[in-house]
Amino acid sequence: MFVEIKNDFGEMDMLSSKISDFCREQNISDEKHNNIALIVDELVTNVMSYAYPDGGEHTFSLKIEKCDNRVCMCLTDGGIPFNPLSLPNPDLESSLDERPVGGLGISLVRQLSEAVEYARVDDKNQLSIKVLI
Amino acid sequence: MEVKSTNIDNVTVLTPVGRVDTVTAKAFEDALMAAVSTNKKIAICFSEVNYMSSAGLRVVLMLGKKITSLNGALVLIDMPDKIFAVFKMSGFDKILKICQSFEEAKEFF
Repeated sequence: MFVEIKNDFGEMDMLSSKISDFCREQNISDEKHNNIALIVDELVTNVMSYAYPDGGEHTFSLKIEKCDNRVCMCLTDGGIPFNPLSLPNPDLESSLDERPVGGLGISLVRQLSEAVEYARVDDKNQLSIKVLI
Repeated sequence: MEVKSTNIDNVTVLTPVGRVDTVTAKAFEDALMAAVSTNKKIAICFSEVNYMSSAGLRVVLMLGKKITSLNGALVLIDMPDKIFAVFKMSGFDKILKICQSFEEAKEFF
């Protein structure tokens, strides 16, 4: 499945129903569906929030396919160079007072994925994510 | 998004309904902050939440910090497994009180 997404949070409903359709067609369990939806949500939210500081309208894309016992996703945007994997992992042991608000999304993505890789290809950010199902 | 609110034994019980994500996080935050401005004893019931992303976790964390600074109490109750999984992955099960039911939460208020 290939989806083009505008940098507008109004697209999130469309995206989540496309992910639901894909998971239903591929007989993916509810639990794995939730994990895939969460990974896509966190990464797409990052792109919408930070990739296009000019504020103009842009389109980026998500490819998602099932290969054997994995779902492979590729998120590609032409925004400013940014590798979300360069962010430090939040300290998950720190106390309530010390815990920074934010930075949790990419940590969830790492934990839910078998592998996440970033590359800058042809002036685009490309994230490849593999999830065991 | 809809956030139901009731009062039980001087505790404000908030029940968000549906998805708590980037799109709905602001409404969730507004409902939580409005509640804490009138009562610093709050329970959030997650039984009607079917999806939660880090945007929702962030709001719960902010509320937790605020209530601690006010010497109040926050307990999260009735979490479906997949919602609990997201809290646990973030280590929030160690810094926030999570109970199965309101009955179980009572001792913390």
